[in-house]
Amino acid sequence: MPRRGSLLAYGLTRLILAFPMLLILLTVVFTVLRIIPGDPIYALYGGRAPLSVIMALRHQLGLDKPYWQQYVTYIVQIFTGNFGVSLGAHYGGQSVIAVIDQKLPATIELSIGSMIVASTIGISVGLISGINRDKVVDVVGRLYGTTIFVIPVFWLGLMLQLLFAVDLRWLPVNSRFDISSSPPATITGLYTIDSLLAGRLDLFIIAIRHLALPCLTLGLVLSGFFAKTVRANLLRTINADYVEAARARGIKERTIMSRYAFKNALIPVITVLGLEFAILFAGAVLTETTFNWDGMGRLLIDSIEVQDYPLIQGTIIVFSFIIVLISILVDILSGVIDPRVRY
Amino acid sequence: MLPMLEKRRTLAGVMSWIGLGILVAFILIAVLAPIIAPYPAVGPNSQFLTPPNPLCGACAPPSFSHWMGTDNLGQDVFSRVLWGAQTSLEVMAIGVILALAVGFPVGLYSGYVGGSIDKAILLVMDSVYAFPGLLLAALVAAMLGKGPFNIGIAITVIYIPLYYRVTRNQTLSVREETYVEAARSLGAKPWTIMWVYIAYNVLITIPVIFALSAADAILTAAGLSYLGLGIQLPTPDWGLDLSVAQQFLTDGAWWTSFFPGLMIIILTVGLSFLGEGLNDLINPLLKKGRA
Repeated sequence: MPRRGSLLAYGLTRLILAFPMLLILLTVVFTVLRIIPGDPIYALYGGRAPLSVIMALRHQLGLDKPYWQQYVTYIVQIFTGNFGVSLGAHYGGQSVIAVIDQKLPATIELSIGSMIVASTIGISVGLISGINRDKVVDVVGRLYGTTIFVIPVFWLGLMLQLLFAVDLRWLPVNSRFDISSSPPATITGLYTIDSLLAGRLDLFIIAIRHLALPCLTLGLVLSGFFAKTVRANLLRTINADYVEAARARGIKERTIMSRYAFKNALIPVITVLGLEFAILFAGAVLTETTFNWDGMGRLLIDSIEVQDYPLIQGTIIVFSFIIVLISILVDILSGVIDPRVRY
Repeated sequence: MLPMLEKRRTLAGVMSWIGLGILVAFILIAVLAPIIAPYPAVGPNSQFLTPPNPLCGACAPPSFSHWMGTDNLGQDVFSRVLWGAQTSLEVMAIGVILALAVGFPVGLYSGYVGGSIDKAILLVMDSVYAFPGLLLAALVAAMLGKGPFNIGIAITVIYIPLYYRVTRNQTLSVREETYVEAARSLGAKPWTIMWVYIAYNVLITIPVIFALSAADAILTAAGLSYLGLGIQLPTPDWGLDLSVAQQFLTDGAWWTSFFPGLMIIILTVGLSFLGEGLNDLINPLLKKGRA
């Protein structure tokens, strides 16, 4: 019972600590959007609209109030779930929440797919590298870990498109679904899940075929970090006392590796997973652009282009929420797996 | 144990030298672009009046007169790639130097005074650091407008927390050294202790961060340009050229996107080799100094 209690306490502490982090992120976003020179209304209408229209719109958005008042309104609005209404050309008039609701599933699907690719490839490379320390395989593996990380994700995407979609014609070039068929009815918004829920295996295959290249692109770039971490940790656990002890007891080398060394080398992967999400989102913005993927990243860039102020703000806030949420989840998860973390 | 250390040292040394070589080569390319580029960066310079591939304008595959082919406007890709080194290095230098100029003093101060001021600054910096850098930079870039200088400032936002973190942590440990305590007991003022006694010993960790953040800065700047938030046409820039080239990829024009990307990779690989090599070289030094 006391163990259970301490885990709960740990989780609650993390939750409380996350609050200032979220507040700071929101404040940074506010500062960037309001205090850095550049006026959204002016950018939206240029010199074309009469001054009276600009003033009216500024008043409507509350931009004529002092900064502190705007800040209070901004924070109150966020925590009451009111993100305002889009101003821009594409989604003008729709509520920001509704627009984000349409776009978020695409990014979630891309992110999960990429993480699966990244962890599978990264962990395999890391383990193979670590077992064969200082052999040729290891050198190749380490080189992979260092270089794959610095390849521009959009360039890799273009090259994979060129190879698999343009030359070999194995996979579709871009977008989330075939133009000729209509996506499954929206339940979760994730095409893969929705098509399975609808019992349509044909639609599921279409969705997977479209997911393949973007996920491979982003997953490959992210795998380098996994490979490095796993290799470093495996080298540490291979020489650990409990592995030596197992060896001394005459346990087979294979069993030692799989039951003792691997298991403990994989614990830090959860922390890496958490750290990778920030990189993942940055990569997703670029990958979505390369593959014309209709998600949050594209939404952010599109709204920046037309200076759709409430939409920019809303998108960034949702990203902040997700990041803070993931950091809490990762901390709690590592607390569950490795009790030492809690103290 | 000793021979192993020696071997590692040399591997780190080789990596650093390769990295430094690549960096110097790119600086030379940027400086000498006006002399070594066979064509001007902007304006059609293809000899094809009737383009062989009408789908992508005046683009032509690599040939003897255009090593890396020409783009949709008939511009020589090889020349643009060389000129592009100027843009990339300029943005990177502005971003990284500004981040150092802000992050280092703040980190030094925060680490030296400690207490609640330190905790507050740390919380702010860590929160910013947790946010995807590219998104934050995109936001700032959109507000500031296009151009190398503005993009340099935009990417600074990402690296300030990094320089701050490293400087602060190093300051925390150097602060406890005996010679700092000696200086304090001799009546040296905090300012003098920070800048005369501590700063120099903290500075030793900076080259590693400098190289690694420079590699990341090149990627981020290219990403911003690729997204259309960075550099404006017709300025030659790798990320921007890639985003233009993307439209013609399905017509089979691979050369307009392949080569700018290759330049980014070579430069960033070089910088991360330099960073990781230096890290292996400097870290044992630091540990030895501690012992």
